[in-house]
Order: sequence, then C-alpha cells, then structure tokens
Amino acid sequence: MISSHAKQSFERIFEKAARTRLPMESSHSCSIAPLREPMAGADTRAVVLTISSIAFRLLLILHVNEDTAAVEYFTSDNPERPFNEVFQEICNLCCGAINQELLNYFPDLGMSTPYTLSARCLPYLSGLKPELLESFAISIDAAAGCIELAATLCVCAHAPVDFIADVSQAEDTSGELELF
Amino acid sequence: MQYMQYQKDGCDSMVVIQQYLVAVIAASAVTAVLAWVVHRLRSASLLRQVNDASAARIAELTRDDDRHAQQFAQAEQDKLALEVTVAELRDDLARQAALVDETRAALAAANENRDQLARDAQRIADEAQRLKSLAATFERWHEQMISLMTQNQDMHTKNQELSSIVRHVVIVSLNASIEAARAGQAGRGFAVVASEVRSLAARSEELSKSYRDSLHRNDLTTTATFQDIQAGGKMIAASLASVESLASQFQSRLH
Repeated sequence: MISSHAKQSFERIFEKAARTRLPMESSHSCSIAPLREPMAGADTRAVVLTISSIAFRLLLILHVNEDTAAVEYFTSDNPERPFNEVFQEICNLCCGAINQELLNYFPDLGMSTPYTLSARCLPYLSGLKPELLESFAISIDAAAGCIELAATLCVCAHAPVDFIADVSQAEDTSGELELF
Repeated sequence: MQYMQYQKDGCDSMVVIQQYLVAVIAASAVTAVLAWVVHRLRSASLLRQVNDASAARIAELTRDDDRHAQQFAQAEQDKLALEVTVAELRDDLARQAALVDETRAALAAANENRDQLARDAQRIADEAQRLKSLAATFERWHEQMISLMTQNQDMHTKNQELSSIVRHVVIVSLNASIEAARAGQAGRGFAVVASEVRSLAARSEELSKSYRDSLHRNDLTTTATFQDIQAGGKMIAASLASVESLASQFQSRLH
C-alpha cells in the first residue's frame, strides 16, 4: 500500500534528517549508505521512536555501539550526562525533523518519546509486517575519527500511502527544541 | 327827427341784434348739432371699442373657460390616477409591511440561529478542550509500557541466570560422564544418568534461547505498540487542538 514514490520520499526525508541532526557540528560530514544487515551485537543499543498517522506508523531505530569513540563524540558538549540520555535526545531531534517534514504531507501526526532496546530485538521488526524496512550505515566524519552508526526505517501502512517529498528546501540547522 | 333817427337806429340795432341772436342761435344750433354728431360718433366709436374689447374678453374668457374645463377634466383624470396610485401604494405598503415583518422574523430567527451556532461552537471548543485530556490517558498507557518493559527486563535477567545455570549443569553432566567412564562397568548406570542430565541441560539451553528470543520479540512488540499508542494520543490531541482553534475562530466570527 506504500507506493514506490512514497518509499523513496520516506528515505529522502530520513536522510535529510540524519544529515542535519546526527552530527554534533554542522562541519562534520555525514554519509549514509544502504546496509544489508543492521547492527545487532549484544552491546548495540537501539533507540526506537514512532511517528503515527492515520494511514501509517513509522519506526525510526538508531543503532549505536556504546564504545569510547561514540560516547566521547556524543557527550562532548557535556561529558557528565549519561550517554543513553544524550543519544536519546539526539535521536529525538532526528525523528522530530522527520516528523516536521512529514507534516507537510500528512496533517495528523504524533510522535512518541524515545526508548532504548537491545539491538537483538531488531530481527523481529518483520513481525510488524512493515511495507518498508530499510537499514542504513551512517558514518560521521568527526575531527577525532569516524563515528559509525546505523539506522533502520520501518513503515507499516494501514491505508494507501502515496506522496512525493521535496527535500530540496534550505536546511534549518538552528536546532529548534523538539517538545515531547 | 333825431328821435326818429334814434328810433330808426334803434330799430336797426334791434334788427342787428336779432340777426345776431338768430345767428347765435343758429350757430349754437349748428354747434349743438355738430357736438351731438361728434358725440354720437365718439359714442359709437367708444361703443365699438367697448364691444370689441368685450368680445375679445368674452373670447378670452371662453378660451380660459375651455382651458379650465380641460384642466378640470385633466385634474379629474389625475385625481383618479392618483387615487389608483394611492390604492396601489397602500397595497404596496401593506405588502412591504408584511415583508418587513417576515424579514424581521427571519432576522430574529437568523439571530437565534447564529446564537445557537455560537453556543454550539463554544460547546465544540469546550469538548475539544476536555477531550485533549485524553492525552493523559495515552500517557498513562505509555507508563504501563515502562512497567511492562521493566518486567521484561527482569525476565531477561532471570533467563540469563537460568542460561548460566544450564551451562553449569552441562559442564557438571560432562564431568559426571567423565567420572562414570573412569568408574568403568560400575559407573555405567551413572553414565546413563549423566547423559540424561546433559540431554536435559541441552533442551533447557534451547528453551532458554527460545525464551530469550521471545522476550526480545516481546520487547519490540511492546515498545512498538505502546509508542504507537503514545504517538496516536499526541496526534489526537493535536487534532483536537486544531478543532478547538477552528471552533473558537468560528465563534469569534459569529460575534
């Protein structure tokens, strides 16, 4: 029920949100590539967020290994804060950007708060019967090195979904506060 | 002689006087006749003038009379026309008055309708405002997810403990098999028991893995479901806020 245009649009919107919200500084480049198998190590965290509408629900899952490089990168602004809290906030900003973009095409949307699961849950996403299930490898080129993340986009439709997203508009990188 | 003369002279004088008198009388008569004739002529002239003037006046008056008669007839017609017009105007007035009454009644009904719509809009806004508290219900459900996930986490921990025990039992059963083999013939029965224990441990390990997988599946399903509920609640709250705003705008336009 999700048209190919809509699938491509979801992916474009996700990529735009990831590029603008995941790097801690706008000068850090962010490359995104399709991933055949998502990260599913025992220590891999998977932060899950849901955007619900009348016609579909979208799950954004961001996977990260809590290694030293990732912890230092994401907590560089405030090393005292717990990594999970900081990373959930970043994921929330990323999902908020997707939500904001989707509001241009779907007037009724709501977004959940983030929740962290083990990445071992991810193989069971197919149990939700998604029509779009894509994983992406995300590399952030920071000054200290490359930070590797992964993301999974899972969209379950309850009605036909067809739209074409135009994400060519100028980016707003001001980092507005997402309320949740 | 003289006297005679005097008499003759007197007679002459008398004749002269008589002649004079006759002449005077004749002259007077002629003058009178002339005067009378002149007077008659003058009178006749004046009479003609008066007659002419009278005739002209009569003609003029006749024309005036005709004109007045025509004007009177016209006035009568105008009066009749005016009476018709007045009657029509009276009818129009009656119709207009009836129309005004109808319009006034319609206006009153429209005002009442508008007030009713304003009250309805207010009720919708109030209801939307009230229903927005449903968000708290969705949040309550979401909090139950945290509780469920905490229980799941507890089951994960217990399952890991069980898995650890099972691994330990496997090691113990292997050791028992080794010891049974050392015991030779005397240990054959013990070897069977050790093998059975190892088999049970292997089945327990499989069961533990399956249980772990089920817990992970349960984690994902629970999270996805409750996040859908939470996000759906926010979607409904946002839609209700939109309804409330529209109802308020509609109400403000009515006043």
